[in-house]
Amino acid sequence: MKDNLARRKNRMGWGFFSPSVILISVMVFIPMIYALFTSFMAGPPVNMHWVGLQNYQAMFSDKTFLTAASNTFLYLIVQVPIMLFLAMIISVMLNDNRLKFRGLYRTAIFLPCITSLVSYSLIMKTIFAPTGIANKLLMDVHLIGAPIQWLTDPFWAKVLIIISITWRWTGYNMIFFLSGLQNIDTEIYEAAEIDGASRWKQFTRITIPMLKPIILFTAITSTIGTLQLFDEVNNITKGGPGNATTTLSQYIYNLSYKYTPNFGYATAISFVVVIAIVVLSLIQLKAGGEDK
Amino acid sequence: MKLKHLLAGVAVIALGALLTACSGGGSKTSSSNNSSGKTLTVWCWDETYNTKAMQDAIASYKKANGKQKVKIVTMAQDDIVQKLNTGLASGNNKGLPNIVLIEDYRIQGYLTSYPDAFSDLSNIVKKDDFSSYKVAAGTKGGKRYGVPFDSGVAGLFYRTDILKKAGYSDADMQNITWDKFVQIAKDVKSKTGTYMMTQDPSDLGLLRIMMQSAGSWYYKSNGKTVNLANNQVLKDGLKVYKELMTDGTVEKVSGWDAGVAAVQKGKVATAPTGSWYSSTIQGAKDQSGKWRIAPIPRLSGDDSVNASSIGGAGWYVLKGSGNVAGAKDFLKKTFASDPKLMNTIAKDIGAVASLKSALKQPNYQAEYPFYSNQKVFNDLLTWAKKVPEVNYGSGTYQIEDVLKDPVSAIVKGANVDSTLKDAQTQAEAAVKNQ
Repeated sequence: MKDNLARRKNRMGWGFFSPSVILISVMVFIPMIYALFTSFMAGPPVNMHWVGLQNYQAMFSDKTFLTAASNTFLYLIVQVPIMLFLAMIISVMLNDNRLKFRGLYRTAIFLPCITSLVSYSLIMKTIFAPTGIANKLLMDVHLIGAPIQWLTDPFWAKVLIIISITWRWTGYNMIFFLSGLQNIDTEIYEAAEIDGASRWKQFTRITIPMLKPIILFTAITSTIGTLQLFDEVNNITKGGPGNATTTLSQYIYNLSYKYTPNFGYATAISFVVVIAIVVLSLIQLKAGGEDK
Repeated sequence: MKLKHLLAGVAVIALGALLTACSGGGSKTSSSNNSSGKTLTVWCWDETYNTKAMQDAIASYKKANGKQKVKIVTMAQDDIVQKLNTGLASGNNKGLPNIVLIEDYRIQGYLTSYPDAFSDLSNIVKKDDFSSYKVAAGTKGGKRYGVPFDSGVAGLFYRTDILKKAGYSDADMQNITWDKFVQIAKDVKSKTGTYMMTQDPSDLGLLRIMMQSAGSWYYKSNGKTVNLANNQVLKDGLKVYKELMTDGTVEKVSGWDAGVAAVQKGKVATAPTGSWYSSTIQGAKDQSGKWRIAPIPRLSGDDSVNASSIGGAGWYVLKGSGNVAGAKDFLKKTFASDPKLMNTIAKDIGAVASLKSALKQPNYQAEYPFYSNQKVFNDLLTWAKKVPEVNYGSGTYQIEDVLKDPVSAIVKGANVDSTLKDAQTQAEAAVKNQ
């Protein structure tokens, strides 16, 4: 009797989870394994042959890949800290009970991340055109003498990409920080105030340590997002001037669809991106989560 | 326990089905070739240009051959390229069109990657009926796979009023060299304050125009050997390019639309580009009567001629989609032979035909008030005959992406020979697996 019940329960269990297991295997795991094999192959798509590690070795001498990789990591190193810091500052300001119209500000800052990637990219492109409003403003306040070539100068084009993604994603991360802040007990701040801690000290000694899990989470998701950066670059600069702003994702796309397809090499680069994400996430977990 | 086995069985079957689907690339899918008479599907890009031309073709075909239905699907060129690649690579012909428009620069890549996918059209495309460089673009191994469509013949569009102010008459603009062009650019900028042209540093179309005018390309004529280092034509072209980019006569822009805006707002004096640009220029109706088209400038040495090409495309028939005979018959009676259709297309979209017999048609002999009563179609098609043939190879865009950074380094002053040598190594590695 007991045996029967256990068996029936067992059966029910199988019934419930097997559809999802089968689906995730067919949709995700098998293509992943298939892609891994593809990354060891080369040649025209209908006639690919095994080349071992050749695709992975080729990356080291491929200047376009190295440029794309260094651009991607530059965005990561410069943009993610700026964005997270901004998001944190803004969320602390918005969390202040004395501030009026908080909901309005919150909505305004969150709004960029519900706009379509393509349309905001096109708007950024217009704003930062040589005769666009950004240059006009900067010239009107006499910060610059001649218009900045945001789109055609290799340095400024990178700055423009960083400005764009910061504008788009700061509000998104701010929401996580806001919810994190709401979980911090106000009594801690009261105690700190009585002990004579300044606002800055409260921020660095209480807020940041208490937000650590959120910082870790946003850092990892932002890292993943930045390593997969594609839309903004493709729509604002097309990777140009030259390859000055191109990213790994864009290079993977070009190798698969823009050029005569080289799926082997493209998947090999995809796996390098995956490995980079795993390694960076591990480092962040190690650095940020040790006291757990 | 039974259920476990059952589930395991289902999983194995699902897995097996998937693996066969994945490995479909190698095996031939048995497509239905008995579907003759079925609706033909055509893929092309640009609603106002290629689609319009195809609609004209369908209308003229229907008059003579009532029954055959033809359906056009318009999408962005990038999407066509992507869908074709995924469709052909997976070996799954379902959903692919019967006829597809492919850009000349890309077709060799398709013919190399998918040798069995395209139908040999040698018997409906007569070599001598078309501008020879257009036929060459769609030829591989002596077989002609493409019906040439619009000619990408290049011309120097220029503003007569601005050049007159700078001291140049129409006669001064005919059959000039690029060195002369640079000189004119300086005069135009200093005397009128107008830029000579716009240039997107990421678009090397100008270099392509220069190379083809001397019968040279990123590839040697076999379409396989990368031809960057010690390519004298490219070096001469780069010399001109560097001068234009550094002497302040050219406005640098990013993206296509910025260049169009500059032309339409009257901010530039010339546009050295393909004949298909005509409709864009005519968008600025207030500039009617102020434009003319001169032959594209040539390089000073290198056997360069005052004729070149940029862009342009052709129609191709996919074998796997069935009704090959129907598709061939359609193309044979329209784009491959009908000068009257070319006449209509010239009127509707301003495309210059590749079909030589179009020259005698009324619209080709007409004078156009927008271009100061110049017989522009007549002139463009006449120049098209002189365009040297080159082999675009299978990796034009890939090599060009490799070349973009070296070119901007050269503009900033890097040594041409050593930079091109590096670029050669890079490009060779990039196209190795094709």
